[in-house]
Amino acid sequence: MRHYELMVILDANIEEAQVTPTLDRFLKGVKDAGGSVDKIDVWGRRRLAYEINKSNEGIYAVVDLQSEPGPVAEMDRQLRLSESVLRAKVLRPELR
Amino acid sequence: MANPKSAPLRKPKKKPNPLEKEGIEYVDYKDTALLRKFISDRGKIRARRVTGVTTQQQRQIAAAVKNAREMALLPYTSQTR
Repeated sequence: MRHYELMVILDANIEEAQVTPTLDRFLKGVKDAGGSVDKIDVWGRRRLAYEINKSNEGIYAVVDLQSEPGPVAEMDRQLRLSESVLRAKVLRPELR
Repeated sequence: MANPKSAPLRKPKKKPNPLEKEGIEYVDYKDTALLRKFISDRGKIRARRVTGVTTQQQRQIAAAVKNAREMALLPYTSQTR
């Protein structure tokens, strides 16, 4: 088990109420594989420092999770494929 | 003179205290308020001789700034002139 930190920028057109369900969809794979989600911190709508996909706003969320590497790689892949995700970054904070 | 070899052409100028030593051990890329102190108006990372932090800290800062840029928390460049 490793500690990962995930930051996602979701499309600002997603409704506030849909944010957590959307995140859960991506995190499901991790949970099913025996990982655990420690904390979901939704920052909410925030101005982007530069334009991404023609939009100047995004919904930021930071997730702390424990998992094996495999499911995380798969989650990362899904995040990159999804159109509702502007950016995603998975980090291992301890590695610095 | 104690050390005639180092005839001071220019005063070495005592290092300003690495203001980093204010309790921050881990430079987090999410902490944009902190990172903004280490970038210029144009968004460039300030040199170590300007920031006065240690080499190791400078590398952490650089990495953090770059991560923050990827996530659109900091600009790559600020408003072209």
